[in-house]
Order: sequence, then structure tokens, then C-alpha cells
Amino acid sequence: MRHILYSFLAIAVITSSCNKKVLEITPQDLLVSDLAFSTPQKIEAVVLGNYDGLQSAEFLSGRVLVYVDLMGEDIFDRTNYFTDLPRFNLLANSGIASNVWTAGFAAIARSNRAIAGIEANINKLTPEKAKELLAECKFVRAVANFYLVNFFGQPYAFTADASHPGIPLMTQAFTSNDPAANQPRASVGAIYTAVINDLTEALADLPLEYEEVYDTKVRGTKAAAASLLSRVYLYKGDYANARKHSLDVINGTYGTYALNSTPNAAFAADNDGNYMSGETIWSIPNSINDNPNTNNALPMHYHPDGRGDLSVSSSFLSTTTNPYFTTDDKRRAMIISGTTNQTSAFKFTNKYSSITARGDWAPIIRYAEVLLNYAEAQARLETGVDADAIAKLNLVRNRSLGLALPYTVLSFPNKDALVAAILGERRIELAFEGHRFWDIMRVKGTVTNKYDNDGTSLLPPQPYGARKNIFPVPQIEIDKSVRVLVQNDGY
Amino acid sequence: MRKTLISLWCILLLLSGELLAQTRTLTGKVTDANGNPVPNASVIVKGTRVGTVTNTDGMYSLNVPMGAKTLVISSINLQSEELSIGAASEYNMILKAQETSMDEVVVVGYNTIAKRSLTGSVSRVKGEEVANRPVTSFDQALTGKAAGVLVNTASGAIGDEVTIRIRGAASISSGSSPLIVMDGVPLTQGDQGQLYNKSNGLAELNPNDIENIEVLKDASAAAIYGSRGTAGVILITTKKGKAGQNTLNFDSYVGFNEPARNMKVLNAADYITTINKMRSNAGLSNAANYGDINNDGKLDTVDTDWQDVVSRKGLVQNYNLSVSGGSQRTTYYASVNYNDLNSYMDANQQKRGSARLNLTSKVTDWFTIGISSQYSKTKTFGHGSGTGNALSGIPFGPLTAMPNIPVYGPDGQYYDGIGGSTVSYNTPNPEAVINMNYDNRDARRFIGSAYGEIQLIKGLKFKSQINLDYTNAFTDQWWNPDIGDGLGFGLRQSVYNEVNTWDWFNTLTYNRQFGADHELNALAGVEHIRYTGKYAYNYGAGIRDMDLRLISADNYDEVGGENGTNDIDNGLASFFGTINYGFRKKYLATVTFRTDGDSRLLGPNRWDYFPSGSLAWRISEEDFMRQYPFVKDLKLRASYGLTGNPDIGYFPALSTYEPDSYAEKGVLRISNPGNSDLRWERHKQFDAGIDAVIFNNIGFTLEYYNRKTIDLILDNPVLATLGFPDNEIKANVGEFRSHGIELTVTAPVLQRKNFHWNVNYNFAWNNIKVTATNSVGDIVFDQDVAATFSVAKPGYPIGAFYLIRWAGVNPANGLPTFLDSAGNQKQYDHATRTWTMVKDGSTTSQIAATDRVIDKNKSPYPKFYGGLTQTFNYLSFDASIDLQYAFGFYVYNQTKQTIMSYANVRNKSEDILDAWSKAGDNTDVPRLFYGDNQWSQASTRWLEKGDFVRIRNVQIGYTLPKSVSGRIKVSRMRFYIQGSNLYTFTGYTGIDPEANSTGNTNIGLGIDRTRPYLSRTYTVGINLGL
Repeated sequence: MRHILYSFLAIAVITSSCNKKVLEITPQDLLVSDLAFSTPQKIEAVVLGNYDGLQSAEFLSGRVLVYVDLMGEDIFDRTNYFTDLPRFNLLANSGIASNVWTAGFAAIARSNRAIAGIEANINKLTPEKAKELLAECKFVRAVANFYLVNFFGQPYAFTADASHPGIPLMTQAFTSNDPAANQPRASVGAIYTAVINDLTEALADLPLEYEEVYDTKVRGTKAAAASLLSRVYLYKGDYANARKHSLDVINGTYGTYALNSTPNAAFAADNDGNYMSGETIWSIPNSINDNPNTNNALPMHYHPDGRGDLSVSSSFLSTTTNPYFTTDDKRRAMIISGTTNQTSAFKFTNKYSSITARGDWAPIIRYAEVLLNYAEAQARLETGVDADAIAKLNLVRNRSLGLALPYTVLSFPNKDALVAAILGERRIELAFEGHRFWDIMRVKGTVTNKYDNDGTSLLPPQPYGARKNIFPVPQIEIDKSVRVLVQNDGY
Repeated sequence: MRKTLISLWCILLLLSGELLAQTRTLTGKVTDANGNPVPNASVIVKGTRVGTVTNTDGMYSLNVPMGAKTLVISSINLQSEELSIGAASEYNMILKAQETSMDEVVVVGYNTIAKRSLTGSVSRVKGEEVANRPVTSFDQALTGKAAGVLVNTASGAIGDEVTIRIRGAASISSGSSPLIVMDGVPLTQGDQGQLYNKSNGLAELNPNDIENIEVLKDASAAAIYGSRGTAGVILITTKKGKAGQNTLNFDSYVGFNEPARNMKVLNAADYITTINKMRSNAGLSNAANYGDINNDGKLDTVDTDWQDVVSRKGLVQNYNLSVSGGSQRTTYYASVNYNDLNSYMDANQQKRGSARLNLTSKVTDWFTIGISSQYSKTKTFGHGSGTGNALSGIPFGPLTAMPNIPVYGPDGQYYDGIGGSTVSYNTPNPEAVINMNYDNRDARRFIGSAYGEIQLIKGLKFKSQINLDYTNAFTDQWWNPDIGDGLGFGLRQSVYNEVNTWDWFNTLTYNRQFGADHELNALAGVEHIRYTGKYAYNYGAGIRDMDLRLISADNYDEVGGENGTNDIDNGLASFFGTINYGFRKKYLATVTFRTDGDSRLLGPNRWDYFPSGSLAWRISEEDFMRQYPFVKDLKLRASYGLTGNPDIGYFPALSTYEPDSYAEKGVLRISNPGNSDLRWERHKQFDAGIDAVIFNNIGFTLEYYNRKTIDLILDNPVLATLGFPDNEIKANVGEFRSHGIELTVTAPVLQRKNFHWNVNYNFAWNNIKVTATNSVGDIVFDQDVAATFSVAKPGYPIGAFYLIRWAGVNPANGLPTFLDSAGNQKQYDHATRTWTMVKDGSTTSQIAATDRVIDKNKSPYPKFYGGLTQTFNYLSFDASIDLQYAFGFYVYNQTKQTIMSYANVRNKSEDILDAWSKAGDNTDVPRLFYGDNQWSQASTRWLEKGDFVRIRNVQIGYTLPKSVSGRIKVSRMRFYIQGSNLYTFTGYTGIDPEANSTGNTNIGLGIDRTRPYLSRTYTVGINLGL
């Protein structure tokens, strides 16, 4: 009997050790979240994951640039791929709107989790590294907020105090289904303030450059933060600050940036070096190994040898509707015709041509934009026709100039003519890079001469302030929020 | 481990030696009640190991020790008898038949119980019903054999998935496959294929080794398996040796298989006419014509039947040798098997070799040990592009390949042109593709268990058993650069994967009769299980030298690979117990309890409890039943209990990060936000039944069940502002209710001296309604993105079809018409690419995905299904017919949809010849119009009733009379011919009403997307016993 007792005792001991063996199992192919901030390397990998959030196929790896241009008049949706978007006719359950919303907030949430993780593990990093990584997080968060607020909220000037609804302002890190994530929409003004704060703090702590040029072009730098600040202030109508930050970049405060000698040298997909030229300030790098899928890649949408969904419109090509685009402008060499029966009648841009690898980088900030940001802010701030504004405008324009002469002060009867020329130049130089529609809206313009998907039927003019200039808040998000989120008018 | 096993075997073999002593010889004859000799009856001196068996004439001769007092004589299905020995030397004995089937012992998990004492729902299928069938795995042979057990063989591709559903679906997004336990070893099952072909792990077992299969259906029976019992449990008991019955059996069959049906596609002449008509109606030039293949300046009227080209009579063969027997102390069963099945498709084959050894030995009166082990090697030769709807797949390739081009060109090489046709298509030469590409899998599997059992005091036994199921497989796949999917680059991929389960359980059982009235059977136990998996994958693309296929960076333009755990890495710890109590053999009660801890669940949710209870009343034991002597046994039973579903994925509750990349650097991103509140999916099940045996052994079981499946783990939508992948968190949000009726009747319809006719009929009716999906009541689609024709939505049956409604062809103009969500009939004219209202011709909006409607009456789950098995014996002849049937379900005929498309020049179904051609034609095929991609879109046009009755198996056998077999020294010799899957009565027009392209899933079943036809097999066989 004693043997029996002993055996039962032995079994009890073995059982409890077996329990441990079969129950205490950690995954080998995944990293338990508790460990994500356990070493400096992992923390940096999490921070790089924020950019990966921006790189979503539905966001800055290309799609959002397409959306901004599709609402403008320079391209049309040849294959009807985006159906109702270019006609300003999205529905509340639009997949486009919900994908942008989801991708943008995912990038913000990743940044917030990274910030919280760094702050909780600050002792694992040198103070310098911690500051730098936090700055990168804020940079990513600002970028996502800026794009989101412009898609889902009316322009800054829509109300006098920018109190009209923007997007929820998310600053907390979430690791569970926390009710605190159910935030109402903050005002556009509040979002702009948050974006400017994030960028200003980032500007202070971001590095001038990283060890590799590649990283300098695709991670947050002082130049990237300052350049983006100049754009944000321009959208806000704060021209003094727009001028200040663009001038800092131009003056080389944050490193040396310069235009390439030819207008297409920042593109051409077969050579990554082009993307890393002095003209690129910040891009989202795509490559054969890391790219949006065939449905979402820029070259698939834009290039006739890809799917060629997006065709360059006659409004862009005509000197009547695009008066600054002279017939001998060198940038016209970047417009090509299709080669098949279906595409030969249409024009396309060849800015994005890495069709098989889908490796075209998405150009988010180029030096040309900074020059034009400065020129515009400066021209608007001065009372007369400003020579320095013209000088920076000429830097951009002259490299593409045909037989026409460079601008001088005498080329413009007044300041408004100069501003118009700068905006006209901006339309041409930054075409197909996700600027056009918002550049019209921020100056309270109207989209005219916009074509439907056949390229010949005109759509009605789309005025500033129209309800459907902005996307619907995804209906599913409103449902999930139990109406804490409020829909935009008209949806 | 292996060393230990070998030494264990040696010890056991030694123990089986017999003792010698002073003896005398007894002889005699054993007969049954009818006076027929009983061969193989065991004759043993009581209390010793001295014994023998009777020969074919029922005669025995035994040397017994001088002091022997009693003989024990026993035989299968007969009541054993004891006999006192006097001075005489001849003792004859008549053995009576066992009273009823109620005396059988049933395995109910960790112990056994007499069938009459059973209070739960258990169906039994005998091993002989699944042995010697020309199928790759025993589960296929279960089809139609047990009430409520639905077995679906996805296709005729060798090794394709088999889906088993007990009482319908057990989940929405988690698994619904029953737990399968063989001799106490929980088996790895399901698709273990890695590349383009699926595989069924159960094909690695030898069906001839199976003694019995028990199916535990209700909560009372399955609750002993706790968190693993929700989808039901299938218990396999392998054959064991019997003391004193030394036998050698040889079983073999040889035959061939062929496709069970062929869908009709156009011949060359009709193809050319149809395609050109389609083109000219659309204002396009002719595209199809014969070509001058042999360059003699004349057109060659080629007419290739591609389905015929890729088919063959596939040889099937099976050889099984088993020996069994033993002494009173030690029994053994050993077998070797070789099974070789060639499918009717060229280049598709499976070869399996397996060996088994089962040993049991009584070391002392109180200590018993045993092992059960099998090793198998299974090699499967599959198609390099898989089967199914890939352009190179079977039957997609042969169904769509142009019939007006030849298989071989004039140079004797595979022809890869388009003959005289002018419009190209993407189907590569099907015969070339299946012969030049391959996807082969080489699997090895060891399943073994070893136990020791100690009798502590009378009735109390302690048992400790360790179990191992180890399987590994190497998959080697090749795409030739000259044709098909690998065109222009060539690809070789290889995957090594292994799955390992170890399991250790310890049980205490107590069996005791107290007085005349109380019967107690109790069990308590602990069990620990660990599941692990591994895989290593690598590939080379862009081959440089075709003759050298080594995957290395020197031989391919690009190489790569990855490895990991294959999402299998979890463990289970359990405590369980069950008490069966019987009062006067009349009133029976069972209480079962199990608590399981699973490594994948966290915190307080890790451990959960799965209790069940059941009651039974054996009315036939009551005195008042004496007046109804025709009622041999009558039992009422009812049970209620909880079970769980373990198939919940890889760390669903844990918050994790996973690697990704940005800027050519590794980054970390959130993979699963985690949900520490996650708990088991559970069934609450009520079951009530009647078991009866009446008249001449007519068995009858009728039961009703009602179950609620709660806490289903589904992806629950959360706010995007949380920033979780796909805006989802796994949560226990879903719920559904199912109820049904099952009936089993076994009847000896006719029992004459020379003629016996037995019938076994089963019927099941099942109804499932989803009551909740997630917090917003969303539609849930199958996880397979190709299976979105059906959904789970509250208020509808699971898998209800969700399609645009087809409204026929407008007889006036031949245009296809559909209904929009509001019921408006709209027609589509591809000439103008416009949609118009049928009623007034006004222009309207396009029929779109928003016009899909869920049909609550149409789901892929049969409303009722079952089988009918009949066996006949006449003199030395025997015959059996197995029927299987299923009614009240629908199949989405995507195969037909594919070969009715007007958007390409691939070959078409013969149905296209019915196309509308003039006003007034009533047809469901619209006017031919090349490019019309709307008419053949997913709609109810392709949804068909699946009702069928199938002749599963027909067998006719002849057993040599004893007088003849005795002369050649064999105890039994039987020859038989067998036809498998002979004919299917159905109105379904696709591949097969059971076609299942999605595999083992819950929502997206019933999709017939160009999976290979089932096979029909003819075999001749022999059963030989020594």
C-alpha cells in the first residue's frame, strides 16, 4: 500500500512539472509584444515599422498621391478603375475612404505605441538615440495626420477659426480594445496644431542625415521635417512660417539639397541612385522586394505598359488650359503615348516606369517643391513683385525651359501674376505627385476642365468648399463608434 | 526511445514461451447451436496458459496437465463455456450464440463499457467494413456508415482532402474536424500538403489494421475529451491477438480505376462553329479553325478529346499480410501492407508501405503491459501545378484546351501551338504539363503507444500510457521552363515538414459490482499533450541547367526559402474523470468531467471545465416488460454537457509582433493585438435517444439532439483608430444553434438456413442556424478568398449561398437577365455594354455585388443524409451493396461557369449548343456574343441541387467450402470482385455533387471549382486465412 502512496506522490510531482512543460510555451515565429522594446535594435525596428505603416499599399506607397491627382484635372481615370472618386461621388461605405482612414490611423497607432514603448524603456537607449527615435515617431505621426486631415476635413480656411471637423486626434498607445480609442473628430485647427507641434519637435531632434544616404532619403531628417512644415504652413495660410522653414532648407541649414540638371533625373526607375539624388528630400522607397501590389503600384496605374489606368488629360497638355506649360517645355518629354490599340490614343506620364519590379519610390517631398513653397510664400508676403521669389521660381523653371526666356521682375505686372505663375509652375513640376487638387483647394480655387474617363466628356466644375471635396468618414467606423464619429455633410 | 521499445519487444517475446509439464491428451469437437463445427474456438485449461484452438472441423486435441480440472472454451460472437474434466479423454461442447449485440463492449475514451450500460451516443463501424476498399484512407470508407457522420471526399485526386462532419458544422471560423484517437494516440490529421496538392494524413494508416471504429457524438460521450470534443470523436481500435487463436491472414486486391463521369465539352467541329458564331455575332473575325499541323499544305481535321488523353485505367493493388494469436499471457498482432493506387489521371499515384506490431502481455497476475505501433512510408506523385482551376490543372486544362489541335506535333514533341486558330488562350498542353511537371511527397509516419497496467486491488487498476505520433514529409516540386506555369524560367521548390504529438496519460479505473444491485465503473485520469511542428522551405527559380536540379544559387537565377514552426506549437494539460453507475442494470447514470489547460489561452481563461451528465433507463429489464418477449432490449437515454473546440489557431490570444521590411531593413510591426479574454469555443449539447433490440435481433436507435455552439472565436471589428491589423481582434462573439435527428436500423431481414440478408440503414437530419457573428452582426465569409459565394450571417444557415439572382434568358432578344436587390429584372447587352430594364427597355444601372441575396434555403450542408448497407449470404456466396445518399443541399457549379464563359476562346461545355439563336427560343444559355463577361458572372445560374444517391460499393464473394480449403490446409479462402463508386443517381451537372474545392472548411463548402472527378474502381481480391 505504501508503494501505491509513493507512486501517487510521484505522479503528482511529475504532473505539475508536465503542466509547466505543456502550458508555458512562447511562440518561436512571432515576437511576444512584451519583448518588442527589450533591446535598442528591436526598438529601432519598431520605429522603422512606423514608416512601414505609411508605406501601406493604400497610403503613401502611392495610392494617396493618385487620389489627390484624380480629384484634380490633370489626369483622368481611363479604365474607370476608381469609379466614383474622380466624379466626387463616393458613397459612405467607399472602400477608398475606409482604406485611407485605416492605413493612416494604423501608421499613427504604430507611432503612438512606439512612443509609449520608448518612454517606458528609455533606460535601454542613450538619451540621444531616444530623442532621435521619438522624433522619428512624431514625424511619421505628423505625416499621417496631415494627409488624413486633408482627405477627411475641408481646407484649413474653410472656417475662420478652423473649427470645422477634422479627424480624431490620436495620441495614446493602444494594445487592447480600449474604449479610449473611440475619440470624436477634433477640429481641423487642432489637427494642424498637432501636426505642427510634432514636426517642430521632430525638427529639433531628428538627425541631419543617417549613416547611409538611402536612409537619409527615406527616414525622417531635419530637412524633411522643415520641408513638410513649409508645406503645412502654406496649406494653413501662414506664409511667414512657410517662408522661414523653406528658406532654412534652401540655405542648407539642414544639409545640401539641389535640383538635378534635368527634370526627369529624380525618377527613372532602373536606377535607385536617381531617387537618392540631391533633389529628393523624403520619399517612400519601394523595391522589388517591398512594394505595393500590382493593383496599387504607381507604375501599374500610370504607365501604359502597366495597366495605364490614369491618362494625362488634354487640360494638362493644352497651353490654353495650362498656360505656363509651353510647347517646348522639356517636361513634355516625360509625357508618352501608349503603344497598344487600347492605349495609343492616350497620353501617359513616364515618371513611374518600374512596371515589373513595382520599384518606383513614391516622391513625397522634392527640393523643387521647397523652392516653390518658398517662392510662393515670399511672393505673397512681399507687396511688390519679389525678385527672390522669381529667382527660386526660375531655378525650377529654367532647367525645363525651351526657347522662352527666364522670368525677370519685368515679366510680371503685379504680385498676383507672379503668384499665378508660381502656382502654374507648381502644377507642372509637381504633376502626378499628389499635389494638384489640394493646391487648388487651399487657395479656394475651382477645378475646371476636368474630364471623365473617356478623356473627352467634361465633368462639371468642382468649386471650393463643395461637400464631396472631402471623403466620407467610413460608415463602418461611424457604426463601430456608435455615432461618436460624425459623418461629413452630404454623405 | 527506439532502444527501449526494442528491448521491450524482446522481453515480451520471451514471456510468450510455454511451460512444459506432465500431461495427458484430450480431444473433442466444438459445434454451434445448429451443429456446425466452430473453427478457431479457443480451448484452454482454466487458470493456466495451456490451450489450443479448434481446426476447421471444430476438432481440437490438447495436452493437459494431469491435475487439470476445467476447460474454458470460447469463440468470437459465441458465449464462452466451462467444462469439468473427468477421466474421459473426449469432450464435445456446443457453444450458444451471444444473446444480442447489446453485450458488445464499446470503447468510450479511456476505458470500455458494455454497450447495454452505455448512456451516451456512440456509433460503431466494424473494421471489416473499411478494410479492403480501394480507397486511400479509411475515413473515405466510413462514408454512409454511421448516422450523422458525413464524410466528403473532395475529389478523385489521390490524397485529396477528406472532410468529416459529425452532426454538421462545429464552428464558423475554427475547425470542425472530429478528434481522431487511435489506441489512445490523438492523431494528426487534415491537409499536411505544402505546395500545390493537398494531402490527407489518414492515408498513412492501413485500414486493414482496424478492428473497430467508434464515433462519439453527444456531449456525454465526447465530454471525456473536453476541449477537443466539440466536433465529435472518432476512436479507432486496432486489431489485437487473441489467446489460443493463432492465425495468418493474407488479403489482396488488384484492379483499376477510371473517372466516374466526364463532363461533355465541344468536339472540334462544334468548337470551331461555336467560337466563330460567338465572334461574328460580336462583329469580330473568325478565330477558330483547323490548322495545317503537318505542313502538307492541307488543313488537318484534328479532334482531340483532351479528357481522354490525360486519363487512363489506373492500376490499384493492395497486399496485406497479418499474423495474430498468442498465449493466455501474451498476445500479438502484426501486419505488413503494401498499397499502390494509380489514379485515372496520368502521373498521379500513391504508394504506401506499412507495418504494425501490437503486443499485450500479462507480466504477472497484476501487471499487464502492451504496445501498439505502426510505421508507414507513403509516396504520393502529384501534378506539378496541382489540380483544380490553375490553367495547367486537371481538369481545367483538358476541359478548356482547344479540341482542334493535336497532343503531339509532327516532330513527336508536345504540340504547343494553336493550330489554325488566330486568337490565343492560356491553357498549356494538358498532357505535356502533367508529364513534365511534378509535385511529389514522401511521407513517413510512426504512431506508437506503450502502456503498463497494474491491478492494485480487486477492481482497481492503474494505467500509464505514453503515445507518440510523429510524421514527416518531403515535398519536391518542379515546373519545367518549357511549358505551363514555369514557362520561361523553371522552378524547383522543396519543403520538409514534420508534425509531432506526444501524449502521456495516467488513469485509475474502478470496476465493481456491489451486491446484486449496484454496478460501478469509475475512471480518473491526468493527461499531458504537446504538439509541435516544423518546416523548412526553399526554392530556386530561373534554372540554368535543366539536367541539374540542385537548388543552389549557382544553378538558379534566384534562390530563397524560409522555415518555421508551421503554426503548430501548443500543449494541453488535463484532469478528467467519469463515473458510470448502474442500479439493477436498469437505471444507469454517467457523470463525466474534464478540465483542460491550453497553452494558447491566457490567464484565468487558460483552464476551463467541460462537464456532462447522462441518464438511461433500460425499460426491457422492468418486470412489466416480460409480457413483451419480442423486446430484447429497450433503453431510453438523455444527456447534456459541454465540449470545446481546440482548433483555434496559432497563439490567437497573445499580443505579438512580426517582422516586415522598410527601406531594405527588417522592421517590427504588430501582428496580433492579442485578447487575453479569449476563451474556448463551446458546444452545449442536449441529446435524447432510444436504443432497442426487438424480435430477431433487429437493432434500432433513434435520437434527437439540440446544441448551441457559443463563444465562437471570430474576428470582431474594432475601431480603425486602434491601429490593429485588419481592424480586428479575435473575440468570442459568434453563436449558432443546431438540432437534428438520427436513426439507425440494423435488421436481419431474412435468415434461412442457406440464405441471410442483413440490412443496416442510417439516416440523419440536421439543421443549423447562425444566431450571432460579431458585435455588428456582419456577414462572415470563408477564409478562403476564392470561396465567397456563401456566408455565415445571423438568421441564416451556415454556408447559405449569397449570389446575384439569375433571371433567365430573355426569349425575345437572347440577352441574359438578372434580378437586382429590389427584384427588378435587368438585361445586359454586350454589343452596347448597357443594362436595360426588361419590362420597358429603359437604361438602368449595372447589376453589381450589392444585388447579391442570401438564400436561407440553399446551403451546402445536406438537410438529410445517410447510407444503406445490405449484405447477403447464400451457401458459399456473399454479397454486399453499400448506398450513400444526401438530399437538400446545393452546389455552386463553378466548373460549368468556367466552361460557359463567352470571354475567351477556351473550349466550352456542350450546353453552349443550346444558346439562344432566334426570337422565341426558350433556353438558359443567352445568344452567343464574344466578350460578354456579364452573363457568366457569379450568380444563381450556377447554383444547382446536389441531391444524390450513390452506389458506393458492391462486392460479391465466394468462399471455398471447408472440404476444399481443408484439403489445401487453409482455414478460409475467399475470392471476391468489388466495384467502388459504381454509379451516382443525381441531377447535378458538374464534376460531382460532392465536389469540394475549398477543402476542410465551414462556410465555403459545396463549391465545385474544377476539382478532378471522383474515380470508379473495379477490383478482384482474395482473403486467405491459415
